[in-house]
Amino acid sequence: MSDWLVIVFDSIIIGALCGFGAGAGVARMFHAPKVQGAGAFRTLGELNACENDPIAHGSFGLGFFFNSWATVVGSGALTGDVDHRIIPHWAAALSLWRNKNLDETLHNPRRMAWLGAIVGAVLVTFLNSTATAIPDGLKSVAGAVLGPASAWLLNPVMPAIFWLAAIDAGRRAGAWGTVLGGLAHMVFGNAVPGIVLGIVIAKGVDDLGWTKVTRSITVAVALLFIVSGFLRGVDFTLLTQLNIDVPTWLAELHRVTGTTPAK
Amino acid sequence: MAIDTSITTKEKLQPWQGGFWLSELAFPVFIAALCAGVFAGTHMFYVYGTGVFNEIAIAALLQQGFDGNGYGAAAAFGAGFMLARIIEGPMVGILDIGGSIQTGVGIGIPAMLMSVGITAPLENFWLALIVGTAIGLAMGFLILAIRKATVSSNGAQSTFGADVMMGAGNAAGRYLGPLIILSAGTASLPVGIGSLIGAALFYWWKKPLAGGAILGAMAAGAFFAIEIPAV
Repeated sequence: MSDWLVIVFDSIIIGALCGFGAGAGVARMFHAPKVQGAGAFRTLGELNACENDPIAHGSFGLGFFFNSWATVVGSGALTGDVDHRIIPHWAAALSLWRNKNLDETLHNPRRMAWLGAIVGAVLVTFLNSTATAIPDGLKSVAGAVLGPASAWLLNPVMPAIFWLAAIDAGRRAGAWGTVLGGLAHMVFGNAVPGIVLGIVIAKGVDDLGWTKVTRSITVAVALLFIVSGFLRGVDFTLLTQLNIDVPTWLAELHRVTGTTPAK
Repeated sequence: MAIDTSITTKEKLQPWQGGFWLSELAFPVFIAALCAGVFAGTHMFYVYGTGVFNEIAIAALLQQGFDGNGYGAAAAFGAGFMLARIIEGPMVGILDIGGSIQTGVGIGIPAMLMSVGITAPLENFWLALIVGTAIGLAMGFLILAIRKATVSSNGAQSTFGADVMMGAGNAAGRYLGPLIILSAGTASLPVGIGSLIGAALFYWWKKPLAGGAILGAMAAGAFFAIEIPAV
């Protein structure tokens, strides 16, 4: 029972902090690029799609609320929609309830921040406390069903989707994505990070050319692969599987740093 | 995607404009609040198994690390996204909180800390808040610095393929509904049928399949117990 109280207490603080930041960031988006905002383009689009009608904002948020609720009850993940969609839309709905003047409501960071904090505190507390109040038996059913599904999503579904997206995004993105994705699968055990980084590099070069920025990103990515590869003992495994004797100094280096791969 | 940042129209000054809430310096404060909340949310997930601010699939990445399968994927995935978003954010004027904060600060940074054995920030709520705030302030000021360096220069700008990744990310989420139904059907027939009914109802109500599929599977599982594989 005391665990439950701690969760409620922590959730109130977490929700209020997130709501405060998200509310203010979303209101500031309407002033971008003059003012640095925070949120997402899709959040901006969805807020505009509701045409400043409090009922539309409220029901849009409600749709995602049920999805988040189902997800958190089943898996403990609140979904990104809490910060991205539910808090902005419900804060917008509350904000526009009495006053339809956008400059004073939805576009006003002060009002949106405080309303966001209230919505966030109530929302996150509700989601977390009901999720933990679910009987263990039910939770384990959800876990047994969700576990394999999320494992499949992680590998191979997500790599395949990102891979195809990279290929469809132009020849350079496809090439970088393919090479880094394949390497990432062998180094990190999942291709998605590599494909993402490949897209970042390729699209950066597409738009900017080989400037200082794109060159430093490429070097950083290369370092990331080399360092991670060493830490995960990929060099060791590769040599072993090529039937080449691992040099003593390399084996010793891996032994000292505790990075010898498990057999 | 090139963004024209040269705004020439004269803005009319609002009572709250020019004040703190729309100022440059307020930005790190808001980002710090968000980061503190999201990081502490990951602490909740670590300790109580609920409350991480992310999708199931990405939370599963971190969970794999908690279960002792290595943090490499979560760290690289989170850091990669965060890097792209921090570069993109100041250039377009909108920082994507999903990639930078929810995935970067909520998944990537905890995974990096855990992979080198620093567990304290994830175990203690107040420490999590402090670490989150510090990360947020650093990120906020970094973004303002990049903004100063780039927005003033009039060259072509890039979002570093964020639109491609956003599209792929959204597409990936859609796969989860069918996958959950397949998984439920594999677990047992009653659970599969329950999941199917839940998903069909949610689809009829124009909600994402995944939520209905989970709830349906749980409802059926309450009456027809399934063998839970040992974790």
